[in-house]
Amino acid sequence: MKNLWNRTKRSIRLALGWAWGHKTRVAALVLVLALIVPRPVESQFFDPCCAILAAGLSTISSTLSSVIGGGLDSILSIEQTISNFEQTVVWPQNLISQAQALVGTLQSTYTQIQGVINTPVNSATLPATQQLEKNLLSADSGQIGQTGADYVGVYGSVPADNAAPAAVRNQVDMTDAAAQAAMKRAIEIDQLADLEIDAANQINQSVQTAAPGSAPIIEAQADAWLVRANAYTQAATADLMRVRAVALANNGEDIKSGSSNTAALGQQLMNLLKRQ
Amino acid sequence: MTAAFFLLFSWFIVTAKTKRRFVAVALVGTFAATLISPPRVEAQGSLVAAIDAVLNVINGIIQTALNSINGVRSAISAFYQSVVWPEQLINQAKSQVSQMISQYRSQMSGIFATNLSSATLPTPQALESVMRDHQTSDFGTLATDYTNNYQAVPGATSASSDDRNLTDMDDALAMDNLKTLKATDQAVDLTLSVADQIEDGASSAAPGSAPFLTATAVAASIQSQALTQKMIAAELRQEAAGLAHANALRKRQATFTGQLGTEIQNLLKHN
Repeated sequence: MKNLWNRTKRSIRLALGWAWGHKTRVAALVLVLALIVPRPVESQFFDPCCAILAAGLSTISSTLSSVIGGGLDSILSIEQTISNFEQTVVWPQNLISQAQALVGTLQSTYTQIQGVINTPVNSATLPATQQLEKNLLSADSGQIGQTGADYVGVYGSVPADNAAPAAVRNQVDMTDAAAQAAMKRAIEIDQLADLEIDAANQINQSVQTAAPGSAPIIEAQADAWLVRANAYTQAATADLMRVRAVALANNGEDIKSGSSNTAALGQQLMNLLKRQ
Repeated sequence: MTAAFFLLFSWFIVTAKTKRRFVAVALVGTFAATLISPPRVEAQGSLVAAIDAVLNVINGIIQTALNSINGVRSAISAFYQSVVWPEQLINQAKSQVSQMISQYRSQMSGIFATNLSSATLPTPQALESVMRDHQTSDFGTLATDYTNNYQAVPGATSASSDDRNLTDMDDALAMDNLKTLKATDQAVDLTLSVADQIEDGASSAAPGSAPFLTATAVAASIQSQALTQKMIAAELRQEAAGLAHANALRKRQATFTGQLGTEIQNLLKHN
């Protein structure tokens, strides 16, 4: 042990002696050591850098709270006001449900109306008239092809050309045509009205399950149907006017025929008296 | 790594035999040490600048944007409440609906319910009553009262087949229309009740629930239009039948005239 201690002391003495003799080299070693030695970690409590960082973060935090937080609070408050206004004044859920329930109640009334107007009204008692009446009340445009034959079965056909003057045959044919066309139009209109009632029911059923935003779309479709229905009503009214126009024309034609027939009869009587 | 470098450097410094080699080793070692030494601590001044920059962004761009959003949302809220859906006008509209209901409904119902019956004799009175009772369950009574008033179709031995057909068709279409009118009278009553219910709904509606009422009102209008069409169709049948009846008589008259002319000519020939 003592031997080891003596050897160490001798080595240190040799190293110091070498260092004393090589001061430049020792300086170079010290310089490099100073360069590469790890630096101590800065203290969190006494380092001014950390204090500045903490103060900065604190300012950022308070600024975030006041500027961004305050701004977002204001926006939230306005959004809540808008939301509350929309839910209580514009689209209150209870009134929407109430309106939908009312539409459901009205649907049953529509069904009742449909039942009432589909009540059979046929009244004819004879075979020919029953046949024509059945055709007229069929509300089936597929039956229009049969209307002419059924009509002739009740009201007769245009007289043959040797049975009546041409003027009378023309008048009779025109009158039959107007009457038959009106009857055919009535069949069409009945069928169209049934389809419109079906469509109205369908539209009303979709209103029951609509949203406030989709109801106007359904309403637009219903408006289109109403425009169409108005057009069909006008078509029916037009045929009604045609029937009345033909009736008026017949009245005039009857007077014209009467006067010419009277003149012809007078002439024939004169001829008869002359012969006697 | 650093220790190994230092030991290696020390070895070269200690063992350098010439001054020139020592200088070279010292220079290389110092340069290498400079390269591998830990980075310098940043200056405190750049940290303050970074914090300032963040604060500037918050107080500048972000605050301006939030203020703008706030301003726009406030404007939208005010626009909704004062222009689009002003609560005062909504309430005013609902009040107007209620006021018009009380002003017109009972008055119009009263007018519409005025008794129009005008017949004076028992038989026409019975027919008139059944014609106007808005019921569809008493069509049998209508047929009986109609026959009592206008007589039945003549029997097969009492009139020609043509006459019987004409009178039966006239009676049938007249009765069809009277029945249709009883049905449409009832439908009109129901349609009026639909209108009342929709108007009642409007008196307590909100802007968001009104479209449901509008849509169902349009559906009711389609139904009503269909009813009108059915009535016009019935009127068409009736007018057409009147025209056809007159035309049938015209046909018969033409036939009779032809026959009469022939008869007169035959008579004159005999004389």
